[in-house]
Amino acid sequence: MKDVKKLTLGLASAAALFSSSLLAEDTVKVGVLHSLSGTMAISETSLRDILLFTFDEINASGGVLGKKIEPVVVDGASDWPTFAEKAEQLLAQDKVAATFGCWTSVSRKFVLPVYEKYNGLLFYPVQYEGEELSPNIFYTAEAVGQQAIPAVDFLLEEGYTKFYLIGTDYVYPQTTNLVLFEYLKSKGIPEENIGGGLRKENGEVISAGKYTPFSHTDYQQIVADIKSFAAGGDAAVLNTINGDSNVSFFKEIAASGLTADDCPIVSYSLSEDEFRSLPTSDLVGHLGCWTYFMSLDTPANKKFVKNFQKWLKTKAPSSVQKEGRVTCSPMVLSYNGVYLWKAAVERAGTFETSAVIKELEKGISFDGPGGTVTTQENHHLTKNVYIGEILEDGQFEILESFDNVYGEPFLKGTFK
Amino acid sequence: MKKAILLFSLVWTALAGAVETGEIRMLLEALALERVEDQEATLETLAESGDEYVTAFVDAWRVGEVREYQPEGSELFLVQEVSGKYVRVATGEPIELSSEAYEALDKNRAPRKLRRLLTRVTDTIGLASRNVDTRVDAALKLGASQNAEYLPELRKRFEAETNARAKRAFEEAIMISLLANAESPEERIEAVKRLGQLHSIRAKDKILAIVESSKEAGDEALLVAAESASRAIADHEELLKHAGSFFRGLSTGSVLLMVSFGLAITFGLMGIINMAHGEFIAIGGYTCFVVQGYFSNWFGEGSPAFQWFFWVSLPVSFVVAGGIGYLLEKGFFRFLYKRPLESLLATWGLSMVMRQAFRLKFGAANVQVANPDLLLGNFEYAGISMSYARLFAIAFAGFVCVLTWLLLTKTNLGLYIRAVMQNRNMASSLGIPVKRVNSMTFAFGCGLAAMAGAVLTQIGNVGPTMGQAYIVDSFMVVVVGGVGNLLGAGISAMGIGVFDQFLQPLFGPVMGKIIVLGMIILFLQWKPGGIFPTKSRSMDD
Repeated sequence: MKDVKKLTLGLASAAALFSSSLLAEDTVKVGVLHSLSGTMAISETSLRDILLFTFDEINASGGVLGKKIEPVVVDGASDWPTFAEKAEQLLAQDKVAATFGCWTSVSRKFVLPVYEKYNGLLFYPVQYEGEELSPNIFYTAEAVGQQAIPAVDFLLEEGYTKFYLIGTDYVYPQTTNLVLFEYLKSKGIPEENIGGGLRKENGEVISAGKYTPFSHTDYQQIVADIKSFAAGGDAAVLNTINGDSNVSFFKEIAASGLTADDCPIVSYSLSEDEFRSLPTSDLVGHLGCWTYFMSLDTPANKKFVKNFQKWLKTKAPSSVQKEGRVTCSPMVLSYNGVYLWKAAVERAGTFETSAVIKELEKGISFDGPGGTVTTQENHHLTKNVYIGEILEDGQFEILESFDNVYGEPFLKGTFK
Repeated sequence: MKKAILLFSLVWTALAGAVETGEIRMLLEALALERVEDQEATLETLAESGDEYVTAFVDAWRVGEVREYQPEGSELFLVQEVSGKYVRVATGEPIELSSEAYEALDKNRAPRKLRRLLTRVTDTIGLASRNVDTRVDAALKLGASQNAEYLPELRKRFEAETNARAKRAFEEAIMISLLANAESPEERIEAVKRLGQLHSIRAKDKILAIVESSKEAGDEALLVAAESASRAIADHEELLKHAGSFFRGLSTGSVLLMVSFGLAITFGLMGIINMAHGEFIAIGGYTCFVVQGYFSNWFGEGSPAFQWFFWVSLPVSFVVAGGIGYLLEKGFFRFLYKRPLESLLATWGLSMVMRQAFRLKFGAANVQVANPDLLLGNFEYAGISMSYARLFAIAFAGFVCVLTWLLLTKTNLGLYIRAVMQNRNMASSLGIPVKRVNSMTFAFGCGLAAMAGAVLTQIGNVGPTMGQAYIVDSFMVVVVGGVGNLLGAGISAMGIGVFDQFLQPLFGPVMGKIIVLGMIILFLQWKPGGIFPTKSRSMDD
């Protein structure tokens, strides 16, 4: 056993020596930590693809501090302990300068102690529930105040007065819905107009809304509940269901006769990329809220989409799916993360993590495909938020935008 | 359906007076191209016209089926497709366009704000619709808006209405509107009382608000009326919830029955622990997808013949999965008959192989299967509604039961199957071709699973892991029902379904499911053999 270990170690170091002598000095290693297999692979593979594209784009224009980016792609396999293991491998063995990765909040929670232990740097790109701030993570993701709350503001503005909360039973929907519950109450919506049910302990609300397990398929009862909730009119649904349960949910909604005009549904976890495997005809007219839409009509976005499509056709490795690809918010936030890191490294003049983090905290702006994003001292980003209506071709028509929304992770208990 | 309305309205308006429709068409095009000066007046005119073409146009407009076309030397105008031909919106005259050219045109879409304004217009028009559902829907929406402007129209329609359901809807709408627009306190109290009698769930929130406000204002008479009305409505809602839960339970039960019936045969009768059962369900789903692809190639997606893809895919998936099952029995399962533990592992491996095969062939993402028109929408009776897709699933589960019962009791193969299952060696020594019977039975079980998968495309998703969602439930149904007993499987599926749906509203889906599982554990402690324990298996081997 020991021998085997020695042998692999030897081989690994030989390989490392070989590669470093070959590429000596002119490359910098960067980690890509996403699930390329398992249930999350559908979503996370797209993030790997966009990261490879971004690295190629940067390398083509001279790299970072004169060094070419050399990606180290590892597979978290939709298994949370594996994420921690792979993170350790990236930091201790490959000594990457930065990592771009994670999708589910639970995977982030697993790698967080690893990054703090090795003083690494992780860029996290997917909308999340907040209530967390690690010195070693940069959250390019939408915080609750940059997605869930603007969408509610939009609905309040349109005159909706009843809100039904529904989600998948895990940390992101539970926390988000609690914050939304507090927010709605602060806006004068009475408790009985917030549907889905409340769970209280010692008089304090500990859970708001209706929850279903991952890959739940039977939404009859919930849709019947929503239908009677919405019977009086002016009701909307705030949907934090994750994954393909959404198919069953929206099929049941469509069959029930509830239309987007009667009762719009805002989905927080459905972007253009997910629409590729959803029946979009059942979704038409419902709403989404992100900090980027593929349909954004700006030169920066058009160029970004065009370059990505071109890269898919010409330079993308064979493992990357090339047909029918779209761009979405988590992809763009990954893209922004790489450029922000590049800018910080160039300002610091070194790849050393602490110096880079210090530069990021000072505030760096980048004109991304979704508009300008600026890093904040609290490791989140100021960025634009858009509200869109789903079209039958799986794109969003943008209805409203909020410029430069500040990213605030700690919202629970702040609305009175 | 949309097209039918359109066609109908075209014919109808042609008869009723072409001039007026022509004007409406011009107005709509102007509205869409933002060429009208006074939007409000335009909307008014549209609403007053009562022309159903407005509704048809708005429907097409919202889904991007209205395109902008600018031939050379002409100004920009709107085109839409009407039963395979392209027509100019403003005039209704046909336009020469190839379908490729049409697809390349820019879509003109209704802005959200304007569309919300237009719903009032279409609802007003809908009051006079020939379709009862449209009338009911329109009346209730206008009533719920509590806008006094619509009251005279609603009253007029109420007087003229002959259909009982629509008449009731008109009355409900008038009463809801009167809650806010009553001319005297007496009229308001009367409306509250009447809504209580009508069990109007739509009025519930508004009556509750009246309870609060009358309490503050000290209006005794109104308070009493509102309280009793809201109690009556709440009682009715409760009743509906229970009745609805029962029907939804039947529907959940029939889905369970469908997916587990194949297993009841392969595991129940033959004793093979087939962990790959879920993947045979997925074969059905994918077969449906492939058949859909062929139909779309042959007939095009808009054609009536395309609708048949689903009905055709049911027998096809039975044959495909049955064939695969037959081959697998010959080459794989046959060797596992007397080794239950190894068969557990081997079939689990088989399930992984099959899932990966789906991924390689169809990709990791879900594939889309359309709903045939017949299964779209829902059936509503006395406030309980159920989608046609689910009603079909219930009917289909019944059909599968009858089919299996006939096969087992009325055919020679069925006789053989029963003989082999009761005592394999004895059956063999009596000259029954045991090996062939095994293959055929297994193939039949797989075919049933795949047909269930084809039906599931209508209510759930089709992906490589779709079978995994049903495998545990399937085993649960078979074990609770009593291994080897088909009637038991039926009863247990329905029982689990109904329990599940009754517990869900009380405890939520997660806790509800846990309680069902807990109850099953207790039940199996009490009756380890399930509802109908089989005794003959001890004679075997």
